[in-house]
Amino acid sequence: MKNRVFGKVDLILIAAVTVCALLFIFMRGSASDGGTAVITVNSSVIEELNLKEIKERTVITPDTDPKVTIVAENGEIYFESSECRDKICVRTGRLSKPGDTAVCLPAKTVVSITGSGPDAITY
Amino acid sequence: MKNRSLLIFISALLCVSAIVFAAVYAACCSEKQSTFWVMDTISTVKVKGPGARAAAEKAEEITRNLDSSLLSRHSESSLTYRINKNAGGKVPAEYAKYIQTMLEVYEKSSGAFDFTLGNVSDLWGIGTDNERVPSDEELKEALSSAGADKIKVGDGEISFPEGVAVDFGASGKGIALDEISNSFKDCKINRAVVSVGGSVMLYGKGDFTVGIKNPGGEGYMAVLNLGSSFVSTSGSYERYFEKDGVRYHHILDPETGRPVSNGLVSVTIISGSGALSDALSTACFVLGTEKGMELCRAFGCEGVFIDGGGTVYVTDGAAGMLEITDSGYHLEGR
Repeated sequence: MKNRVFGKVDLILIAAVTVCALLFIFMRGSASDGGTAVITVNSSVIEELNLKEIKERTVITPDTDPKVTIVAENGEIYFESSECRDKICVRTGRLSKPGDTAVCLPAKTVVSITGSGPDAITY
Repeated sequence: MKNRSLLIFISALLCVSAIVFAAVYAACCSEKQSTFWVMDTISTVKVKGPGARAAAEKAEEITRNLDSSLLSRHSESSLTYRINKNAGGKVPAEYAKYIQTMLEVYEKSSGAFDFTLGNVSDLWGIGTDNERVPSDEELKEALSSAGADKIKVGDGEISFPEGVAVDFGASGKGIALDEISNSFKDCKINRAVVSVGGSVMLYGKGDFTVGIKNPGGEGYMAVLNLGSSFVSTSGSYERYFEKDGVRYHHILDPETGRPVSNGLVSVTIISGSGALSDALSTACFVLGTEKGMELCRAFGCEGVFIDGGGTVYVTDGAAGMLEITDSGYHLEGR
């Protein structure tokens, strides 16, 4: 039975519009996704964690030299321990707000929280 | 039939609009983010615009080249390594310009910003495996070879007595940002935020926000609302070691060769030049709040000074830019 309201062409056009709209929403959404902790090692992203969704203590031990241990729990993420000499990464403390960043220079590991924080942090 | 044609027309119009919108978005709002390690620190680049990818690649290339070929004190391929070894030599025009900028800060800060303390900082070894507290005799000897007033630069040549160690540690990140900013003028980009080890460049039209790292804790303690500019911070919390309960940080007093101890824990400078913001943040930290503010005025820069008690002192222009977000800090007199 033929569809009298929508013909094939109409359906194709509607589908195309929907795809374009979804694509646009996806592009916008991925650029401003908030509350996500991003862990990079040597400039490569190795883990992305939505802190709000993490209910249990989550331990991440990336393959680095020196070794670091990163913990996510209760909406926060932090370097729990590091075998680096200065321990600046551990002393940075717990990250919870967009823009918060902790860096372990010897392990080339960065933990930062994305979202609508400041454009940059000066330190 | 009429309804059907109208429906097709509206659908087609929406489709074309969506495609055009997506294409415009891709062209104008395409964004490139990258992270790289250079100058013993982390750099991040966030660029928006049709030329974002090329601009981000250029930023990394410029920073790496600057470090390895010109500014590094430890890399044998670097010009700074060679001139330190040979007590001078021929230098390209841009290198002479960097030195002249640093000399200007040295002179106007009455020597508080001394970029020839390489031998003194080597003694302390902060950030290396050789951290230690040097003896008074060692510091005295190392200081005797320091002093930017011994440097002569001109006609594509630089000269100084043997033993002077030119060190771009307190200005190299800002110099890199200046060079990146110049290179972006040829790129089709709308907006960029580049951080080289916490020294920040804000490029393009519109408003930007920069958080000042909390010197005594986590995250940031205040936000600066800025336009296109450069922002650098010197803090005693960033690189240090502790021995016998005493903290020894990396910002050294050129008079004593020891870590500056004047109550300040952080100084942030906002300037139209990356090199100046970087050098002045160190100079102002060494000078202290009162003289540091005078130096800011002399260079037309703005500054935010934070002491260990959580009191924040600002230059007149910085007052309207700053929003303190951490209740552990308060503006002076409030």
